[in-house]
Order: sequence, then structure tokens, then C-alpha cells
Amino acid sequence: MANIGIDLGTTNSLVAVVMSGKARCLRDELGRSLLPSAVRYEADRTVVGFDAREAAPEFPRTTFTSVKRFMGRAPADCVADAALFRYEMDGEETRVVRFVLPDGRGTTPMEVSAEVLKVLRARAIECLFGEPGGAVITVPAYFDDAQRQATKDAARLAGLEVLRLLNEPTAAAIAYGLDKRGGGRFAVYDLGGGTFDISVLELDDGIFQVLSTAGDTHLGGDDFDRALADHVRVELGLGELDKAGQRALLAEVEAAKRRLTDAESTEVNVAGRTLTVTRAGFEALIAPIVERTAVACRQAMRDAGLSPEQVEAVVMVGGSTRVPLVRRHVAQLFGREPHCDLDPDEVVALGAAMQADILTGSSQLADDLLLLDVIPLSLGLEVMGGVVEKFIPRCSTLPINASQTFTTHVDGQTAIDLHIVQGDREMARDNRSLGRFALSGLPPLPAGIPRIKVEFTVDADGLLKVSAREEHTGIEANIDVRPSYGLSEDEIERMLEESIDHAETDVDARMLIESRVEAEGILHAVDKALAADPELLEPGEGERIRAVADELRAVQLTEDRKRIADLSHELDAVTAPFAQRRIERDLTLALSGRGADDVGQQLGMKAPAP
Amino acid sequence: MTCWTCHEKVAGPVCVGCGAPQPPPATLDPYALLGLPRRYFVDAAEVEQAYRALARKLHPDRYVAKPPAWRRFALQWTALLNEARTLLKDENRRAWWLATGHPAPRERGPRLDPAFLEEIFEWKERELDEPGFVREQAGAREAAMRAELHDIFRRWEAGEGDLAPVEDRLSRLTYLSGLAREKDPHGEHRH
Repeated sequence: MANIGIDLGTTNSLVAVVMSGKARCLRDELGRSLLPSAVRYEADRTVVGFDAREAAPEFPRTTFTSVKRFMGRAPADCVADAALFRYEMDGEETRVVRFVLPDGRGTTPMEVSAEVLKVLRARAIECLFGEPGGAVITVPAYFDDAQRQATKDAARLAGLEVLRLLNEPTAAAIAYGLDKRGGGRFAVYDLGGGTFDISVLELDDGIFQVLSTAGDTHLGGDDFDRALADHVRVELGLGELDKAGQRALLAEVEAAKRRLTDAESTEVNVAGRTLTVTRAGFEALIAPIVERTAVACRQAMRDAGLSPEQVEAVVMVGGSTRVPLVRRHVAQLFGREPHCDLDPDEVVALGAAMQADILTGSSQLADDLLLLDVIPLSLGLEVMGGVVEKFIPRCSTLPINASQTFTTHVDGQTAIDLHIVQGDREMARDNRSLGRFALSGLPPLPAGIPRIKVEFTVDADGLLKVSAREEHTGIEANIDVRPSYGLSEDEIERMLEESIDHAETDVDARMLIESRVEAEGILHAVDKALAADPELLEPGEGERIRAVADELRAVQLTEDRKRIADLSHELDAVTAPFAQRRIERDLTLALSGRGADDVGQQLGMKAPAP
Repeated sequence: MTCWTCHEKVAGPVCVGCGAPQPPPATLDPYALLGLPRRYFVDAAEVEQAYRALARKLHPDRYVAKPPAWRRFALQWTALLNEARTLLKDENRRAWWLATGHPAPRERGPRLDPAFLEEIFEWKERELDEPGFVREQAGAREAAMRAELHDIFRRWEAGEGDLAPVEDRLSRLTYLSGLAREKDPHGEHRH
């Protein structure tokens, strides 16, 4: 079973796998590797991808895009984003962002992401002829525990086993083989449709560390489109456009933007009027937007304590880095040409697939490369006065353990509440609340006597687990983890149970694939046998076999599982006498002096058909 | 020792026979864990080399397809290795561990000598007339304290003397380092 790599993006998502030693993205039936991270809820099904994105303006209240912005975040922190995307949030909910659909149903960012992941998983099943082993899923380097947990929950809801969460810039660096350089500092410049991230990484003998990240969560190629659209509207005197007109204009300028990557000038046609846009003109329009990325780059360099010449390589990620001005700007900023040989849309997924392949243990790389991530933000406990006591400092190499000992303040006290936060500010309220942990079931002892040792473990993915024990009695405390934001274990269980309602369709899908694989195997064996031993066929028998085989070939890729299975069995039956004759012939050959081993091998090779 | 899963004899952290990580030790001995001699004067490169050789064998990424128990042991081993590496790369924590067998001061740590505190109080009074005096004094005393500490360990490694004074020296040293690095309290009022 091959492991897959998934880039679960804000705008687009991709799945990739290493085949014959080379990472490649898996494509849909139209040859597209990108899957727009857009989901539309209908009464009895969900529509995911291009269809959902293109029809979004018609179904604004049932279509969700950019849900990555909401993953693992507090509803209170998402109000502005929700307003921007015109999503209706359940105002009662304080712990998890819950979108409300017009028919009263609710959904969460994790469930929406799970729909995207299910489509990618199905694509992998189709391309690999079976269930993938496990998945490496990429996340932004700055994602905190709750956001990472939310990503893992989404994968679980989609039926994927997560082998590892990988930082996006690290994945891009792996895709470019920077890990084979032995050491150095690298910058990863990631300009997508609506987000910009710059990360500075350090590699030291197989250990990747994120030194700093900066960016702008509302800056990207969409801003280029808007700038060009505004210009066109003014130049052509289009005045205020209605929704449909605005959409047509945006689609037209988006295409023009792509053409200007190679062309020096192009024409924009809107409402029967034509405007010529030169690349220089376009670049003048977007220069202020590109300059905003430079501000973030300088910030990241400052945070990492580096000057541009100390950066050995710059990697370009995200579709918007195709724009020539962006490349020139980055080259100037870092004083060197950036790497852009790989498709910038695919590079993160490719790196994830390479890491997934390493994790199978069979890869040759496995012995050389070990990715050691560091925790992006400190973990701490709220103590008296709302002050944070850090127990795991930022940039500690993962996995890591820490323990703290607590005692009680009241005689006979059997429970203690702990509040865990993530961040590097002094006061708990300025950091991200991860969860409140209630330790209960402590032995009732006089105040100050119990010694409750709480162990915190952060695993290789940056996710926190907690256990506790009273040291005198050895009694394990029960830990009730109430994540501040995100789904609780019970909620996930419930969602998984609900998804069993859909399990029937999932089972159907799997049986269909199994039938297709079986048909493929039989057809292959029949073709080989017909070519090898035509002299063993009775008159007319070859034609009968070929007729059934052709019929099977015709339906093999349709959705009609029963027909595929029936024809497979029919082909099996119609070739049975021919297969029997081949076996008898081989046995005769064997008895006339060939080694028994040869015969065994030949017979063995015949399965499953003639 | 026998392997918990294949019951063959096992010596290292990973069973040579079946490849299973063994249960990690319950307590942290950073030197034993990384297979380094118990010396104060260790080379950071040496620590790093020992750490990487073991991390390559024991990191959970090596065991993704293995049963949960294997993965749990790999996680615990690697967490211990990370802790041992951080500890041995920090000379104060290394000194603390060698002297007390604990990775860090328990609770509040030992009490500081009242005479020492009184002296610092006097520095602070002089600071009012001579801005920067505390930092200057603390920096000088810190260097002297460090030299004294090195001397204790040098003798100990040669088989002379013991580590009894280390706790007290370290406590003072940490306190002095804090003073020496403290932000200039008058900084914002001066040019």
C-alpha cells in the first residue's frame, strides 16, 4: 500500500504519491491535479471542487470556500472572516466554528475539509487500485496545536490515517531536494490565491527547523485580479457592474493575468469592448501589492536574525509566483534567483508525498533523512494571577516530554483544574487557550500532601497529550480534556457514526474498484494466454473468448459494478476449457523431463485465469 | 534483559532480532542515554553526534507502520533523547545534574547566602549614583563564579574533591547572570 501526500490548501488541495521513485500529483479524469477547496451542500449530497467553486455565486449560502481560515479557531476570532465570506455562524457556539445552512443543518470547518479530503482519497483509491496506506498532510508552519488537531480530525472524518503532519515550507524544501544539501538556511516564499507566507528554514545534518514565519492572511493572486479588474472597468468606462458582470470581468482579467506571464501584452474583452493591457502596465498596477510581501519577508529575516545573503536558496510556492514581477522582486530581495522549476501549485504536495514515501521505510532515503520538527510556540500553564508558566519552550525539538508537580490547597480536595495555553506572551489571556484539564479522582488527603505529577507529551506532529498520577498512592488521575476550540472526542465519534449512514455508498465505491481491478487482472491474463498458446484453441473458441473480453473491456471503467463482475465471471467460465488444456499440456511437458520446479512456477503464474 | 516482544536477549534500545524498540528507562540519565562518559567538559559536537545516531534509530517516524506499543516506546525514547541533548548542551544544567542527579533545581532551589544578598543590595544602592554599576559588578562576579565552578569540576574529573559546593555556586551564578542581563532600569530616560 502506497502512502500519499496531501496539500490541504486554503484555495486548492492536491494529492500526490511516489511511483517508481518519482513523486507525482494524481489527476482527475480531466487531467487536473488541483481540486478547489470548495464544498457545496445539497439536500442529499455534497458537490466538491471545480463545480462547487464555479457555481458558488449562485449558491452563496450553501457553498464553503477558504475554510482553512477557520480550522481550529475560536468563533470569536473568526467574526471578521465569516463576514468577509458571508458565512452564517452559529452565535451560540463558543468553542467551535459552526456554519449554519439555510435548511437548518450545521457544519464545521473540519467537516467541510473532510469532504475535500474524501474526494482526494477517492482519487488515490482510483489511481492506486486500492486504499492508500496512510497520509502525510501539510499544515502552515505557524499552525498551533488546535489548528493541527483540527486538520487531523478532518482527516479522520475522511477515513484517512495520518502518518504525520508536515510543515508546508518544509515540504516545499524536500520537493526541491534541499534536504540533500547537508545544511544551510532557506527561504520559502508562498504566494497563493488569498494568503501569503514567508518562512525561513534551517537545515543542519538532516534536521529541519523553522526559524521564523511571517505573512499576510489576506494577500494573494486574487488581489492582482481585483487591481486589474478595477483598472479595466475605469479604462473602458464600464461603470458599476452587476454581480454577473463583475464575475465575467474577474474571469476575463484572471485569464489575461495568466497570458501576461509569457506575453508582453494581451487584450481584455468585456461587454463588447476591448482594452490592450501590457505586462508593464499590469506590473505597475500590482507593484504595491508585491511590495507588501517584501515587508513580510524583511520581518521574517529580522526574526530569524539573518541577512539576505545568509540565505542559500529561495523556493517559490503557490500559483501567484508565476507572475514575472513577483519572481524579479524576490530575486532582488534575496540577491539570488529563486527556485521555480517545479510547478508552484504542486510543490508542497510533491514534498508531502516524498515524506510519505520515506515513512513507508522502504525508501532508500529513509536512512539519510530524518525530519525533526520544532514546536512553533511555547506551551504553558496558567498559574496564580493569570501569569503563564512555560513548561515547553518554543523551538524545542519534537517529540518532547515535560512534567509538573502540583498539590492541593484544601483538605480532602479530589480535583484540580489546569488551564493550558500556547504562545509566548506573559499573560495567559494574551495567548491561545488550548484547553482546560480537570484532574479528578485524586485520593482525598490533607492539603499540600498529594504530589500530582502531570506529564505533557508533544508528539512528532506537535500535538499535546496529558497524563497524571498521584505519586504517593500511584493513583492515576482521570483527565477530562476540554479543548478550548475544536471538536471533542465525543463529537468526532458522533460524526463518524453519522458518516456510517453514508457508509453504504462508500462500500459500493470500494466494491466497484475491486471489481475493476479484478477485471483488469483477468483481461491481462487472457490476453497473455491467447498470445502465448493460440495452437491450443478449438475452432471458433478464440473468437468467443475475445467477444466476451471486448465486452468486459468496454464496461470496465463504467460505474456498473454488477455488469463488470458478471462479465468477469463469464470470461472466467468461457476460458476454463482453454485453461484446462494449457495446464494439461504443461503437465505433459513436465512428465516428459522438465523439472518439477519449472512446472510449479508455470502453474503458479497462471492464476487467476488461464 | 530479554526483548518484550520476541523474548530474545537484548542489550541496546532496539532489539537486534525483531527490531522492536525496548521500553525506555523510567528515569533520565542523560549520559547513560547518549552513551557518553559522565564528564562536565563535554563537547557539543560529541553530544550532537551521539544524539543523531540514536534519534535515527528511535524516532517515531521509523515506526509508522508498526503496532501502537512500538510507536509509543519510540516516542518515549525520542522525547528522552531530546531532553538529554538539551540538558547536556547547557553547561549550567549539566553541572546541576552531575551534582544533584536532578535535571533542574527542585521547587525553589537552595537558599542564597545572606551575606551574598546583602552585597548585592549594596550594589543596588550604588547604582543610584553610578548607573550600570550592578551590571558591571554582576558581570565580573559571574565570570569569577564560572571559573570557580570549572575549577571544581576539573578537580573532580581528576579524582580530587567532590561536587558539594556546586549547588551553592550555581545558585549564585544563575542569580548573577540574571542581574548582568537585566535590562537597564534607567535606559529609557537616558540618551
